[in-house]
Amino acid sequence: MADVAIVGGGLAGFIAYQTLRRGGLEPGAIAVFDPDPDPVATWRPRAEAIRQARMRSESDGHCYPASFPGLAPREAMRRGNLTPLAQTVCNRYRPTVREFLRHVDELRERSRWDESVLPSRVATVSPVEGGFELDGARFRHVLLAPGHPGLSLPSELGDDTRVVHAYEPHAYASRVAIVGAGMAAATEWLNALDAGAEVVSVRRREPLRRPLNLPRPLFSKRGLRRFHATPPAERAALLAELSAPSYPPGRAWDEPVERAAEEGRFRVAASVNGEEEVICATGFQRGYVHDPLLRRLASEHGVATSGRWLALASDSTVPALTDETRTLAVAGVQAQWAYPASDTLAGMKYAARRFVRRVKACRTR
Amino acid sequence: MSYTLRGRLESRLAASILPFLATCALSLGLGAWWPLELAGAMIGAGLALDVGLYHRLLPYQPAWAALPLGLLELTATIALVRLFDVAAPLEPALWFFFGSWVLAQVLAHAGWPLARLTYAEDGGELGRGGLGLFVLAPAALVVVLGTAIATQPPTVRLTAGVHRGPIVIRTSQVLQGEKGAIVRGGIVIRASDVTIRDVAVVGGEYGFDVEHADNVRLERVSVSDAKLDGIHARRSSVTVRQCRIDSVGNRWAQGIDISFSFDKHPSRVTACTIVGGMEGIVTHFTMARIDGNHVSRTALRAISMTEMSMGEISDNEVWDALGIGIFCNDMSMCDVDGNVVVATRPDRASGDTARIGYGVLSSYHAEVELGDNELRANPVPVGTVADAHVVRK
Repeated sequence: MADVAIVGGGLAGFIAYQTLRRGGLEPGAIAVFDPDPDPVATWRPRAEAIRQARMRSESDGHCYPASFPGLAPREAMRRGNLTPLAQTVCNRYRPTVREFLRHVDELRERSRWDESVLPSRVATVSPVEGGFELDGARFRHVLLAPGHPGLSLPSELGDDTRVVHAYEPHAYASRVAIVGAGMAAATEWLNALDAGAEVVSVRRREPLRRPLNLPRPLFSKRGLRRFHATPPAERAALLAELSAPSYPPGRAWDEPVERAAEEGRFRVAASVNGEEEVICATGFQRGYVHDPLLRRLASEHGVATSGRWLALASDSTVPALTDETRTLAVAGVQAQWAYPASDTLAGMKYAARRFVRRVKACRTR
Repeated sequence: MSYTLRGRLESRLAASILPFLATCALSLGLGAWWPLELAGAMIGAGLALDVGLYHRLLPYQPAWAALPLGLLELTATIALVRLFDVAAPLEPALWFFFGSWVLAQVLAHAGWPLARLTYAEDGGELGRGGLGLFVLAPAALVVVLGTAIATQPPTVRLTAGVHRGPIVIRTSQVLQGEKGAIVRGGIVIRASDVTIRDVAVVGGEYGFDVEHADNVRLERVSVSDAKLDGIHARRSSVTVRQCRIDSVGNRWAQGIDISFSFDKHPSRVTACTIVGGMEGIVTHFTMARIDGNHVSRTALRAISMTEMSMGEISDNEVWDALGIGIFCNDMSMCDVDGNVVVATRPDRASGDTARIGYGVLSSYHAEVELGDNELRANPVPVGTVADAHVVRK
């Protein structure tokens, strides 16, 4: 029986699995719980829905356990030219979604991922002596990677039949309202304009323009040290501020919108009006309470929380349920308390690497 | 990548291990200190920039920044090498720096991330091994400095008063003169790694006679009334600093003559004051840097590089020379920059048209690269004769 379990077989779980494999664990020693064995089963249709062509992340935007070699050297080798390497040196390399998906497929096969996947959804995690029980099975180390709890729609539009979420399959009507001001919204403006639609951008605030979701020092100890030392209330406020919608600066984003505005095909409005279609690029539901497994864990086992976040230790573990003999860790978007960019591939690696470190330390004890 | 200060220092020190060991081996093999001194300058410059500049100014360092930062570190290393007079040959030194830089880049972008998955997230920190470097580095420094001190040549004190010369030096040593130490009859040097400081020489055939000796340093010495040259060096590499040579009234003496040393480490004459004599400072078939000197009242030429010499003549002051101020001759290559040459007098008595009072003269296939010099009150500021060239910067 495996003594390591990953709950959730999306990208965060997949990266944790790759990191465990690199740490020396065989597929038989790892159990991954997810109804769908495809690690991009959730991510792929969302990327397709917003016609995403390139990844937002830079050179570390891949699922390999080590930062090097990433996708840039891989693509340079495949294409036989150095352009991707030059781009990655200048933070300009953004792999195509196709390249990324191909890489996931290859890695899935090479790492024997499917051998570890158990097609079931875990409903409860219960601490027991020296480990955890997941729906009847016992494990010493458990990583929870449940992903986003669900799509978020503005409550006032809940019953509107014109509404579709940006991450659901959709076409574009001739007059479209796009709600939101983040990366998905900006992508949808361009998609709809490309499709010949007239676009109304409905937004509550002006979008922020940032190359990445967060300031770069927050991806490493340089910024994290201060972040981890911040008192809970302040940290929650900071996380709320950092999760404000943003998209990268650049002419590729601005020029089509400016051109369309001059032609009268793009305007900004405060609310939805008579458009034929309303696309909500409003992201995901936020907070652990929207995830039944985490909500139960917090309420039944006294796991500390702060606002909408699980109050994790800096290594992304659940302090109340982790000790020298067992580990309960969280990866992915629900791990922001430990790593503000936890919903990025880099963030998923952060949690995974620390989880593996604990697993190896306990195994050799 | 966003380095922490500890991460920067650990990454720097870890990347320096191999170059440091290589220079240890090289120093042992060559029996010379310059490889270690060069490595010390490079690592020291890097650490100083890490602490003083990079950590404050670069909360995030993109990969491309390695190139301009590398150039900055190269400049700082060269400055330290010049400041401390490290006798490192230029080309090998540049290759050493380049190789070390490439190694550091390979380690930072590939080696450490592969060996330590959390390298980037940890801001370049290397865990316990990295902390060990903070112990190892001072220990290595102590070992190197200890070895350097232990292998220093002995210091011989020359007491105040007049000593009968010539003093002949045949072993490595530091000859340190006390205030008022005078040698009458010259000092003869026939050993490498000799340093002489604070000694006045009066009379003798040559003030200092150096032959077949490397790494000879003459600091704060003075020569007067020598029959021939004040400092006479053959087949040697010498550094002369803050000397005073008085050859007034001796039409046949040279102030400083360094010759036939092209295959030796470059020599240097700096911050000296030379008055009178035939030529103030002259090199034959030698690589040399002549800078920051004050030369006046010479009878033939004030500063001369000749017979396929090569080097720099910079920031000197030349006054009242007869015939020629600065002379580059006989296929030599001279970088002449920042000098002040004033009031060179024409030597009409010689009847030589090449001695009509040139501030700077390039002669017989020589090539002068002429920078920004102040040439005042010279009958001819700059001239060429016999297929020589002057190239303005």
